Amino acid sequence: MNNSIYGDKLEALKKTETELSESISDIRKEMCARIGMDPVEHYLTRIKSETSMREKCRRKGLPETQESALGIIKDAVGARIVCAFVDDVYAIKDQLKVSGKFQVVEEKDYISHAKPNGYRSYHMILKTTDGIFAEIQLRTISMDTWAALEHHLKYKKQVGDKNELIVNELKRCADELASTDLSMQTIRDMIFENSKSLNEKRKQ
Amino acid sequence: MKILLAEDTKDLNNALTAVLKHEGYTVDPTFDGQEAVDRIDVDSYDCIILDVMMPKKDGIEVLHILREKNILTPVLMLTAKSEIEDRVVGLDAGADDYLTKPFAIKELLARVRALTRRKTDYGTKELSYKDISLKSESLELSSENTVRLSIKEFELMQNLILNKERYVDVIHLKERVWDNAPEVKTDTVYLYISYLKRKLRAVASDVTIEGNADTGFRLA
Repeated sequence: MNNSIYGDKLEALKKTETELSESISDIRKEMCARIGMDPVEHYLTRIKSETSMREKCRRKGLPETQESALGIIKDAVGARIVCAFVDDVYAIKDQLKVSGKFQVVEEKDYISHAKPNGYRSYHMILKTTDGIFAEIQLRTISMDTWAALEHHLKYKKQVGDKNELIVNELKRCADELASTDLSMQTIRDMIFENSKSLNEKRKQ
Repeated sequence: MKILLAEDTKDLNNALTAVLKHEGYTVDPTFDGQEAVDRIDVDSYDCIILDVMMPKKDGIEVLHILREKNILTPVLMLTAKSEIEDRVVGLDAGADDYLTKPFAIKELLARVRALTRRKTDYGTKELSYKDISLKSESLELSSENTVRLSIKEFELMQNLILNKERYVDVIHLKERVWDNAPEVKTDTVYLYISYLKRKLRAVASDVTIEGNADTGFRLA
């Protein structure tokens, strides 16, 4: 392990990964109990591979050192939380912030402020008490689907006049999916609202 | 723009044909119901003007045949003043509008113009209100971000924008957006209003929708 770009910090990275997983799991349990629905559809963590990290350093013109990998680049540890509904994304983000286990270094709301290509996701950089950074991406199933499919198509990029059409169409798909996400959220709100008023009536 | 005219009174037929042609329409004049049906079989029209009282087949019969064949061309019925029953039967049989004889040519022309205005022809391609814009070709609702609306959401939004800050009541919305479809209830309208409220927030607009099922709804 002497040659690792992470130096002696690999264990610390693994510990951060575990801490994140535990926090997410706690939040899920708490929300499950409160709303009777698991807000997380799926969840994954990873530690950036040695090769990817070195490649990223080169791409950014940074020396391939531990300082670059852990101090300048902040996604050695990464987590992606995929939620069923848009509101759950914000609820989990809020819970993570108040958990007190991490310091929020940076937040980017690409859901309220979608990227020009249509990409939507909520990004956060957290810092543990050990000083390890982790990047969290939160999004809905639809947003995740779009990001995954768009990633596939990136490898098959067209050169020439079709490129603009493809970019526009991918953006259109993102905007349609976003619209559907919001409709589904509204339907869930209506169902909750409905069962709430039914329960109140029963109590009377 | 092609019009089929079925009117058995020769003078009136000739006069209408002349006026409509003068307005730039292509007109096929016919003088009884059977002739009209025969024309409809071989040609398609943008508007059909049917007199009710005609030999061979009356206007109502022609209309029935037309709609049975799934021909949805707008139909304007011409009825005599006493024929209230005809007007009711005609409208129920699928006529889009009627005109009582005697009528002013000016009014006939206005009604033909109204009937030939396609429903999808929203006039303006882009509507805007405060920080939002609504594009009819792509059904896009945009402010900082963009979302694609469904056709009903789009039509609802369009109605609200066109009425600016006036309240639009639920009955009006059911009629304008859903053509009074029987399955559409106030809850449906309310749900679609909720969709739009959320989507307005999602595009990061400051515009909101206020009101309720009693007051109606408006943009604010």
